[in-house]
Amino acid sequence: MTAPRLAAAKLILFNRRGRAGVKTRALLLSLARLVALVWMEAQAAPTLTWLRLHGLLYAGLAAVASAVTIARRRALKRAEFARSWLAAVPVSASIARWESLLIDTFPAIVAIGLLTIAAIAYTLVLLFAKRAEIFAPFALCAYLCCGIALGVIGSFLVPRPKPQDLPPGSRYVPHQKLQRTAKLRPSLSALGSWPIRQAFAWAQPKIVSRAIIPILVMMPLGTTADAAMAAIALFGMLGVLLLICSAVISASRFARQWLAPVPARPSDAIRAFLPPACAVMVAAGAIEALLLLAFNVSYRVSAEVGACTAVLGCLTASGGLLWYWRLKP
Amino acid sequence: MNSPILEIRALRAGYGPRNVLENISIALAAGEWFVLLGPNGCGKTTLLDCVVSRVIPSGGEIFIAGHSLRRESFAAKRQLGYGCAPDVLPALLTARQCLEVHAAAKGLSVIGDDLLSLADELRFTPYLEAFVDTLSLGTRQKLAVLLALVGDPLLIVLDEAFNGLDPASALLLKRQLRARIEQRGGALLLATHSLDIVEHYADRAAVLIDGKLQHVWPKDELQRLRNAPGDFEAALAAAMGS
Repeated sequence: MTAPRLAAAKLILFNRRGRAGVKTRALLLSLARLVALVWMEAQAAPTLTWLRLHGLLYAGLAAVASAVTIARRRALKRAEFARSWLAAVPVSASIARWESLLIDTFPAIVAIGLLTIAAIAYTLVLLFAKRAEIFAPFALCAYLCCGIALGVIGSFLVPRPKPQDLPPGSRYVPHQKLQRTAKLRPSLSALGSWPIRQAFAWAQPKIVSRAIIPILVMMPLGTTADAAMAAIALFGMLGVLLLICSAVISASRFARQWLAPVPARPSDAIRAFLPPACAVMVAAGAIEALLLLAFNVSYRVSAEVGACTAVLGCLTASGGLLWYWRLKP
Repeated sequence: MNSPILEIRALRAGYGPRNVLENISIALAAGEWFVLLGPNGCGKTTLLDCVVSRVIPSGGEIFIAGHSLRRESFAAKRQLGYGCAPDVLPALLTARQCLEVHAAAKGLSVIGDDLLSLADELRFTPYLEAFVDTLSLGTRQKLAVLLALVGDPLLIVLDEAFNGLDPASALLLKRQLRARIEQRGGALLLATHSLDIVEHYADRAAVLIDGKLQHVWPKDELQRLRNAPGDFEAALAAAMGS
């Protein structure tokens, strides 16, 4: 084996594809759907000219995104490789250098490949639709690919980020410790706190701070601090709803497996699981309504939006719970 | 004659088109410690998963203390204690909460003092308030065994339960389990690779190869192997080979 890391990465990719049962037919179908969408877009509202006019902006954004992604990936892969099962395999220095270059820049290579395929497909569609701007997709693709390539080169100039391991999920979970001598009381109530803890475990400070960046970027210039805070809080409430909803579904799936050997009644488990999560979702819906009021939305619409999101969240969470505790064999 | 604590009749199970277990029949009497041996991937864990209803068998029947696991699942599970693999324990609950949830699911109003004193003897009490994902492998293994003993079940099912335990804790646990099943008139089904358990604790042992019970050593045969001159491990391995 001349390039063991590359060979292992390739095999893992193939195994994953095999396990996911990805069929060529499904891939072709997706491609056909994409072409149909592009065809419809070409017929309806041409946006290519506008996109081409802002090509430099997209190139810049692509460069920044790829520089950050590749720099982080390089640090992560280096840390992973140090503990890898292939760490002790003898490989010549030159092979190790190019295979690590390929592995590190893999997302950029894939992105450039996909963009090129998309540009060719789009150009063909434009050709058949007899549109004048058939080279516009290529121009756009060239801007983006150049941006990505520049970003990859730039990533070597970015100071190497510290490789970090993910902390245990419970690090950011608030927990009130009981006295060691406190009596053990049989109760299913802990199941209720499980989804909320799961949401805290997922919403690590680093992830939250990164999620705020696109919200800030979306703010129009001249936005006041008050409005920005309110907008962030609004998105935050939506995030809470999404997190709790997914956490209920994930925790109920795990709990079903864990509690399979004990005689837990599904109705009891559902009663223990749902109320705290639903209470959080209702509270998030209420805060959302208040925030909408701050944006001068009418009382009625604010209340409707808040109530709808809370009810939707509760229904989705209940559906997930019922699926794992009642319907799934 | 009393009905067996666990009775498995012509059990078949698998994953999708792959058959893992073929026509397995075992009966465990009261006070019996039954050890399941076999090479990796032979179906030991699948057999235990069927007994604890984590896997639905494709054929056959399982009875726990006379209750059919398929038709009277609730009554059967009340008599069952399962020591799951440490990675199945919920990472974001504390050890205390795991014990409380299991006890509540079994319909208990209090957790027995004997279990708490066992936790104390295993030096597990300091970890009661810790989240499961912060516990070491051995401590999680202790928690899994303690969960299996909640409610003093008639049938205890353990899968490689002594892996990762320090020798003192493992010894304490083996003696406790032996005493428990004798006093309670229960039974223990254990899948393991360690032959010292067969040598010192097992009443019967069976070897599972390619999903089929290849050989079952009854009590007297195990006794004969123990008394035979030379190495018990070698004698057992030779018997497995033959």
